[in-house]
Amino acid sequence: MHHVVLERWSRGASFFHARDPRAKILVALVFLVSVATTPMISPWPAVCYGFVLMAAGLIARLPLTAMAVRSAVVLPFSAIFAIMTFLAGNGAKAAELVQKSYFSALIVLLLLATTPLTDLLRGLESVGVPAFLLTVIQFLYRYLFVVSEQAQHMRLAAGSRGSFLASPRRARHWLRAAGGALAVLFARSYLRAEGIHRAMLARGFRGRFPAFHQPRFRVSDGIFSVLGIALLISLRWILQGSA
Amino acid sequence: MHIPDGFLSMRVCLVMGAISAPSVTYAARKAQTELQESRVPLLGAMGAFVFAAQMVNFPVGVGTTGHLVGGALLAFTLGPAASIVIMTAILAVQALVFQDGGVLALGANVFNMALAGVLAGYLPYYFFGHSSRKKVAIFLGAALSVLTSGTLALTELIISGVQVPQKALYVPLGLFSVNAILEGAITVAVIRSLEAFNPCWLKKPTPRVGSVVTVLIAASVILAAGGFLVASTYPDTLERFIERLSFTQGKGNQWVAPLAGYNAHFLRDAWLQKVAAGLVGLAILYVLCVVIGKLALKRRRG
Repeated sequence: MHHVVLERWSRGASFFHARDPRAKILVALVFLVSVATTPMISPWPAVCYGFVLMAAGLIARLPLTAMAVRSAVVLPFSAIFAIMTFLAGNGAKAAELVQKSYFSALIVLLLLATTPLTDLLRGLESVGVPAFLLTVIQFLYRYLFVVSEQAQHMRLAAGSRGSFLASPRRARHWLRAAGGALAVLFARSYLRAEGIHRAMLARGFRGRFPAFHQPRFRVSDGIFSVLGIALLISLRWILQGSA
Repeated sequence: MHIPDGFLSMRVCLVMGAISAPSVTYAARKAQTELQESRVPLLGAMGAFVFAAQMVNFPVGVGTTGHLVGGALLAFTLGPAASIVIMTAILAVQALVFQDGGVLALGANVFNMALAGVLAGYLPYYFFGHSSRKKVAIFLGAALSVLTSGTLALTELIISGVQVPQKALYVPLGLFSVNAILEGAITVAVIRSLEAFNPCWLKKPTPRVGSVVTVLIAASVILAAGGFLVASTYPDTLERFIERLSFTQGKGNQWVAPLAGYNAHFLRDAWLQKVAAGLVGLAILYVLCVVIGKLALKRRRG
C-alpha cells in the first residue's frame, strides 16, 4: 500500500528532515497561504512555485516524479469544478483552481514526506491543538491499516463465496449483505479496541503516548523558518507586481 | 466532498476555522468526560473502521461512485460528541496523509462533515429513534447528514468564487440526493445487523416525539442549508431581503458603533456581516429545532 512509501520518505536524512516540526509547519502554512492568495493569470507564478518546490524536493532528497504523481490525486476533484467554472465562462479562474490545488497538495506532501506523522502531531500539540484529539488521530493512524486489511480479507472471503454473482439490481439483498459485512467489521474493530486497551493498561498506559525524544527548537530551526518565510513573502510580493 | 486547498478564499477559510476550532475543542472535552476514563483506543479504532468503510465504493449513476460517509452511523452508536472528534480525526488524516482535502480548508471540511453532518444526522434519531418507526429516523438522519454537508460545501465553494452555471447546479445536488438515499439505506442495514449482534452498541435515544415534528425538523434543517445555497447563488435577492429587514443598514451599524475604532471596518464589511447572518441563522434554526422537539416531548409526557 502506498502509505508505506510516505513512512519511508519521512524517515530519510536531509536538511529538511532534521528541522523541528514546528518550524516546518509554520513555513508550510505560509507557503500554502501565499499560493492560495497569488493571482495566477500569467504562467510566471506556476513556474516560480514549481521551481521552489522542485528545489525543496531535491534538498530533501525525495523522488520528484513519485511525488508529482502522488499529488495528482487532487486533480479529479479540481477538474470537475474547473470544468464547471470554464463552462460558466471563466477560463482563467478554472486554470487557477487546478494550479493552486495541485501546488497546495505538493506542499502538504513535502511536509509529510520530511516529518513522520508522530513528530508532526507532537509539534501540533505544543502549538495548542487539544491533546485528546491528537491521541485519537494517533490511534486512528495506527489501526487504519489493520482494519482496512481486515476489510480486504473480508471482501476476498465474500468473493470466494460468490458475492460477485449478486447483481446490484437486486438492491435489497445487496444492501443487506453490505450492511451485515460492515456491521461485522464494526464489531471486530470495537472488540479489538477493547482488547488493545486492556493490554495497554496492563503495560502502564495512562491516556497518552510517552515521548522518547522531545523535539528541541534550535537556533538553526529559527534561522530556517525566518529565511523560508522571508523567501516566500518576497516571492509572493514579486509575483503580485508581475500580475 | 473534501474541498482541497486553493478553492476557498482566505476569508472563508478563516471564518470556518474560527468556528470549527473551538467547537471541536469543546466536543473533545465533552467526549473525554463522557467516556469512561481513557477509552481513546475505541475512538481511534472506530475512526479506522469508518475509514475502511469509506473505501468500499458503490456505483452511483454513470461513471461516478459514492461511498459511506459514516458520520450519522457514528452518532447513533457513540453519541455526537465522540463522533465529532472521530470525524475530525478522519478528516485530518485524510488531509495530511492522503492529500484528500486541504489543510487550509480543513476548518471548512470539519464544519461541513464533522460538525454540521453529525449534528444534523443525530437530530431525527435523538427525538424519534425510540418509537416503532426507528428505521425511518435512522434513514432520515443519515440522509440528512450527507445532504447538509454536501450543500454546505457547495455553498462555500460558490461564496469563494468558484462559478457553477445555474443550470448545472442540479448535477451536484442530484448526486448529493442519490448519495443521501444510499447512505440512509446502508446505515439502516448496518444498524439492523448491529442490533442483532449487541443492542448495547446503539446509543439510546432519550425522548419520543410525534412524526410530524420530526418531519418538520428535518425539513427545516434542509431548508436552512438549502437557503444558504440559494442566498449565495442569488446574492442580489439576499441583499434586498437584508435591506428590507434593515439588518445591515439600520441595526447593524448601530450595534457596531460601540466597537468603532480598531475593528469597526472589519465588522462593517458587508461580506462578513452577510456570512455571519447566515451562520447565526443556521445556529438559531438548529436551537429552535431542539427547543420545538423538547416542547413537543413535554406535552406528550404531560
